[in-house]
Amino acid sequence: MATRKPETGWHGENSDVNHLRGRAFEATCLALTAFGLVSVMLLLLFVANDAFRPLSADVGWLATYAVTVVVPLAALAVYYYRLDEPAGEVAYVASGLPVVGLLLTGGFAVLFTELLSVLEWFALLISLVAAAGLIVAHGRLRPKAALERLVVVLLAPVVTVFGLPPTRFNWLVTDAAAALGLDFGLYYRVISLREAIMLLPFVPTDWVMLLLTLVLPAAGAAGWFVEQRRESRRDGLAVVGLTTVAAVLGVVAGPLLGIGADVWLLVVTFAVLPLGVYVEGVLRRGEGVRGLAFPVVAVLGVVAGSLITGALGFAGPDPWLDWGFLTSATSRTAADAGIYPSMVGSVMMIIVIVLTAFPVGVGAAIYLEEYAPSQGLMGKFVTLIEINIGNLAGVPSVVYGLLGLALFIRVLQWPQGSIIVAGLAVGLLILPIVIISAQEAIRSVPDSFRQASYGMGATRWQTIRQVVLPEALPGILTGTILALGRAIGETAPLLMIGAAASVRLAPNSFFDVGSMMPRQIFSWSSELEPAFRHGVLAAGVITLLAVLLVMNATAIVIRNRYQRTG
Amino acid sequence: MTQNEMTSNDSTEPTPTTETAASSPDPSGDPLIEQSIDVDGTDATAAETGEPVIESRDLNVFYGETQALQSINLAIPEKQVTAMIGPSGCGKSTFLRCINRMNDLIDAARVEGDLYFEGKNVYDADVDPVALRRRIGMVFQHPNPFPKSIYDNVAYGLRIQDQTENIDEKVETALKRAALWDEVKDQLDKSALDLSGGQQQRLCIARAIAVDPDVILMDEPASALDPIATSKIEDLIEELAEEFTVVIVTHNMQQAARISDKTAVFLTGGELVEFDDTDKIFENPESQRVEDYITGKFG
Repeated sequence: MATRKPETGWHGENSDVNHLRGRAFEATCLALTAFGLVSVMLLLLFVANDAFRPLSADVGWLATYAVTVVVPLAALAVYYYRLDEPAGEVAYVASGLPVVGLLLTGGFAVLFTELLSVLEWFALLISLVAAAGLIVAHGRLRPKAALERLVVVLLAPVVTVFGLPPTRFNWLVTDAAAALGLDFGLYYRVISLREAIMLLPFVPTDWVMLLLTLVLPAAGAAGWFVEQRRESRRDGLAVVGLTTVAAVLGVVAGPLLGIGADVWLLVVTFAVLPLGVYVEGVLRRGEGVRGLAFPVVAVLGVVAGSLITGALGFAGPDPWLDWGFLTSATSRTAADAGIYPSMVGSVMMIIVIVLTAFPVGVGAAIYLEEYAPSQGLMGKFVTLIEINIGNLAGVPSVVYGLLGLALFIRVLQWPQGSIIVAGLAVGLLILPIVIISAQEAIRSVPDSFRQASYGMGATRWQTIRQVVLPEALPGILTGTILALGRAIGETAPLLMIGAAASVRLAPNSFFDVGSMMPRQIFSWSSELEPAFRHGVLAAGVITLLAVLLVMNATAIVIRNRYQRTG
Repeated sequence: MTQNEMTSNDSTEPTPTTETAASSPDPSGDPLIEQSIDVDGTDATAAETGEPVIESRDLNVFYGETQALQSINLAIPEKQVTAMIGPSGCGKSTFLRCINRMNDLIDAARVEGDLYFEGKNVYDADVDPVALRRRIGMVFQHPNPFPKSIYDNVAYGLRIQDQTENIDEKVETALKRAALWDEVKDQLDKSALDLSGGQQQRLCIARAIAVDPDVILMDEPASALDPIATSKIEDLIEELAEEFTVVIVTHNMQQAARISDKTAVFLTGGELVEFDDTDKIFENPESQRVEDYITGKFG
């Protein structure tokens, strides 16, 4: 047996390895992170406490709900976490889907009550479909005529949605035609398909139109998805059929339960259909079925809790953030104050931003990444532009407000404080962020894909259209949604362009004066009555944060999906 | 080195001709295509007389200040396998990328001299590199299928070149010629990224031959693959040479000896040292440097 060498002490305290500085650095970083997290958490708890006032409830009420809802759900969560991880995932999705679905339902319900009637929506959608049909038909008939197609792509939606103005507004066209000796005058306005539909002497009832334009397309998409997944046409058709039956049954039976037909159709489209497809899929796969218990237990718990507290006479809390707050306008008394008109204002502002900043930003990003020269004098110029876009992202928002004030209100003479001005000013503010994040997404498409495409003899346009954009799109969407989250909370530009401090009625058009959530919150903060500053304000902040959270969650879901498939 | 070229590229083509291509995807008016159709008509005679399909004359390439290729004169015969070997950084990939003007994608690259493809200098001002690349397919070092289905990958070239008639048949033929059909025929709508590395590379070859080019350039097509997949690719290349002109860059001298008819040896500094029949190069090279390289004394 070989004798072991005597130990030289290389491993112990005498070794020349020193971990002290590293450990100290690690601990400092941890402390700083914890400090940041804890302070934000405390602030949020403080605000949430003001908004919900849980302590204003009877102890019995709190105890009842703790027993019926909190304890069972916590037990389930621990069970999933420790023993059944796939079920945890299922529980997460099965609880999240209806929440998101109901939020979307609410959004569309607001859309139909405030912005446009169901008929207008129907006419708009049919016109857009007709325009798309024209474009596709042209592509089939004349696949080679690229320039002609560009004209068709640009004109078809305009003609179907807006119609053609009489040529006295188009004197350029008339004069040009006259010079050639042609009488090309269009003396009356050519009405669009959209307007023609709205002028029809008889139109389907609202729920039929919703069924045709919302429920059936959604059901068709879900059916197609199921058909692809299972390779069974029968299952796909079953999804479409069942959805339609549920929708029609609800329309017939709804009034008995006090649910309007329109609302029921929205619920079917956005909540019942996705949840149904998901639950059916989980049951079929048989993996994580126990996760479905989570939402069921939650609903049962709430029902049981309300029955028990009702029977025993425990009083619930009196929160500032309740249904009334979400559905009414602000008021002189704090108890009646609500955030509804400014919520609609915020949503309409986001629509303006999406329609303007998104195409402009993505277009600019595509140009800078795919077309712009990177060498020589022009390359230096492009670099300068890129640096300045980065700088613009850091310009204080109040400056953008000033820009909006000067450009849209002073120069273009648009109504002060209108939704469109607010949307464009805030859109300018997030434009650099959209450009930068879209550039990042486009840059992250592996160059080998581009090489492969060019190597096949693809033109640059074909490469961008068929290889780069499909790959970059999820990243572009994620970045844009995060930028929109920033936009919805911006206050300073709204102050500069004179958005209303508070409005009684929700705006009905984009040129109406409106208030937005942050502007409304700001005006509550300067109310004299303490109830406004402590209660209503907190409720408004929580609402705004909830909207932000939903948007960011959407962005995260898109990103995760993208990472999984890519 | 190929990797560096790929990443340094900012996907910008400095030549104005590309812009005209982008605005008019219809290639029928292109001079190069007409030219190549003429040449197609005289294919048989070209093959009999052994006329080169690709010929470079005093071709110099610079990356910024660095000269990557020095006055290359090389004539590549039709429907044979021509291998290019040499140590890393000797410019063999650069030469390959000159043939279908992929170097245009690198801003810093500058090409001087002439390179004739079917009688036309591809660096003439009236040549559209897009039209050129439709005649000259390319397979890259790392398999780079698109993140689309297997079918869509093979159909990609057909679609962008508007050859959409009988597209199913053409996809099937291409997959069969690439010896991949039997493995994927039941899963054509599956993502190409789910295939193994060797299958992906054969898919890339199928993608390149689906549009029926005249020449296929291969940039170390087997260097990222295991020996079994490599031998499949090698068998495939030998078959392909019956119908296509194949130009292959390889690090692997045995591979060049096995599959190629002609071999070009590049040595450090971007210089073409010897170009001859493969047997001659490996058995009795003229140049002492080539012999040293082949026998492993250098490089």
